[in-house]
Amino acid sequence: MVRERYFQQLDLLKKCVLSFGELAELIFRDSMSSVIDLDISLAEKTLALEFEADKLEGRIEASVFDLLALQQPMASDLRLVVSTLKISADLRRVVGLSMNIAKIPGRMEGGHVKPLIDTGKMANIVAFMLENSLRAFETQDAQLAREVAARDEEVDKLFYAVWVELIEMMAKDTSIISRATNLLFLIRYLERIADHCCNICESVVYLVTAKKVTLN
Amino acid sequence: MTEAVQNVSQSQIEVENLNLWYGEKQALKNISMQISKNSVTALIGPSGCGKSTFIRCLNRMNDLIKNCRIEGRVLIEGKDIYGPDVDAVDLRKNVGMVFQKPNPFPMSIYDNIAYGPRIHGANKKDLDGIVEQALRSAAIWEETSDRLKSPALSLSGGQQQRLCIARTLAVKPRIILFDEPTSALDPISTSRIEELIMNLKKDYTIVIVTHNMQQAARISDYTGFFLMGELIEFGQTRQIFHNPQERSTEDYITGRFG
Ligand SMILES: Nc1ncnc2c1ncn2[C@@H]1O[C@H](COP(=O)(O)OP(=O)(O)O)[C@@H](O)[C@H]1O
Ligand SMILES: [Mg+2]
Repeated sequence: MVRERYFQQLDLLKKCVLSFGELAELIFRDSMSSVIDLDISLAEKTLALEFEADKLEGRIEASVFDLLALQQPMASDLRLVVSTLKISADLRRVVGLSMNIAKIPGRMEGGHVKPLIDTGKMANIVAFMLENSLRAFETQDAQLAREVAARDEEVDKLFYAVWVELIEMMAKDTSIISRATNLLFLIRYLERIADHCCNICESVVYLVTAKKVTLN
Repeated sequence: MTEAVQNVSQSQIEVENLNLWYGEKQALKNISMQISKNSVTALIGPSGCGKSTFIRCLNRMNDLIKNCRIEGRVLIEGKDIYGPDVDAVDLRKNVGMVFQKPNPFPMSIYDNIAYGPRIHGANKKDLDGIVEQALRSAAIWEETSDRLKSPALSLSGGQQQRLCIARTLAVKPRIILFDEPTSALDPISTSRIEELIMNLKKDYTIVIVTHNMQQAARISDYTGFFLMGELIEFGQTRQIFHNPQERSTEDYITGRFG
C-alpha cells in the first residue's frame, strides 16, 4: 500500500480514542462506587485520574490536527477524524461529570437519605451506554449505536422518578435538604453522561453512514 | 419553453453509451454522463484509465488519431457532435481545450490571442477589444497590457497557461475542456488557475481532468471517477469526497489503491 504511515496514524488515533473510552469507563464506574459506598479513598483515587484524561484528550487533538493539516483525509477517513475529535470531547465531559460525582462522598456527612436503588439502576444503564457506544465506535456498528441511544429514555424516566421522590422527602423533612441535594446533583450528572453517550452514538452513525442524526 | 428544451439547457453535454477503441484495445467502456451547464466537472482516476481519451471525445480530438473507433453518442446542447452535418472546426470553436503543457504559438502575446478570432473572421477594428477582453477574463491583463508585442514564450509557465486560456476564450466557446492544466505549474500559478476556473464557470461549462484530488475537491461541482476505461462513479463532488458509494472510489481517493 502507498500510504502506510498515514494508515498507521489513523489506526493509532482510533486506538487512542478507545483507550480514552476505557479510562472514562473506569473513572465513571469508580466514581459511582465511591458514592454508593461513600468510599472517600476510592473517590480521591478517581479524582487523581483527571490528569490522565487531559493528557489523552491532548494527544487525540494533536493527532487530529496533524492528520488534517498534513494528510488531507478524505471520505471515510475524514469522517473518522472528525468523529474522533467529537467523541473525544464527549468523553472529556463524561470524565468531568464523573469528577463531580466523585466529589460527592467528601460532602456527604451522615450517610445517604435513602437506599440508592433507582439511582443504581440509572448508573447501570449509563455504564451500559458508555461501554456500548464505544463498542459501536470500535466495530463501526450504526445499529448498535441507535440501540444504545434508545436507552436514554429509561435514564430520563428514572431521573424524573428519583427527582420527584427526593423533592417529596425534602418537603417532609427539611433536615435532609443538604444530603438530598447531593443526590439531586448526582442524578443530574448521570442524566448528562447519558446525553454524552447519545452524542457519541450520533458520531458513530455519522462515521458509518455520513448522515447527521439526532438520537435523543 | 417546453420541458424538453429546458432539459437541454440544463445538461449541456450528454454522453450516451460511449465506447472507444484504439485498434483492438478498448479504452472507454460504455460511458454515460450528463454534464450540467455552468458547472465544473472534474474527472479523476489513475493514469491510463481513459480520462484524456474521454474529454478528447467531447470535441472530437480523437478524429485526428489513426485506428481510433468510436461508438455511442455525444450530444452538446442536444445535438450529436458525431452527426454527419457537424463541422469539427466549428465544434472546436464551441468546445475549447487547454492542455497540460502550456503551448503558446511562437508569436507575440497579442497575436496568440488574435489568431483564433482572425481565422473565424473577426473584424480588424474589433481585435484590440477582443484581445483585451480575453486577457482580462483569463486574469492576465494586468501582467501583459504593457507588453502585448513581446513574444508569448517570454512569459513564465503559469502566465503562459493563462495566456492559453485567454486564447481559448477569445473565440467565445461555450465549453472549455482542461486536461491536467496545472500539473506543470508551481503552487501559486496553480492557485491562480484554480481561481480562474471557478470564476469562468459563470459563463462557461467546464470539464477538467486532474490527477490532483485536492484540486478536484476544491474547484469542481461534480466529480467522475474513471478506472480502466469505465466510469465507476459520478456525482456531486461533496458526496464523492465525503461519502463515495463505490468501494473502488473510496479506495482511490483515500490512497488505498493497489
Ligand atoms: N493515441 C493512442 N493510441 C493508442 N492507445 C492510446 C492512445 N492514447 C491513449 N491510449 C491508451 O488508452 C488508455 C487511456 O489513455 P488516456 O486516455 O491517456 O488515460 P489518462 O488520461 O487517464 O491517463 C491507455 O491505456 C493509453 O495507453
Ligand atoms: Mg491524460
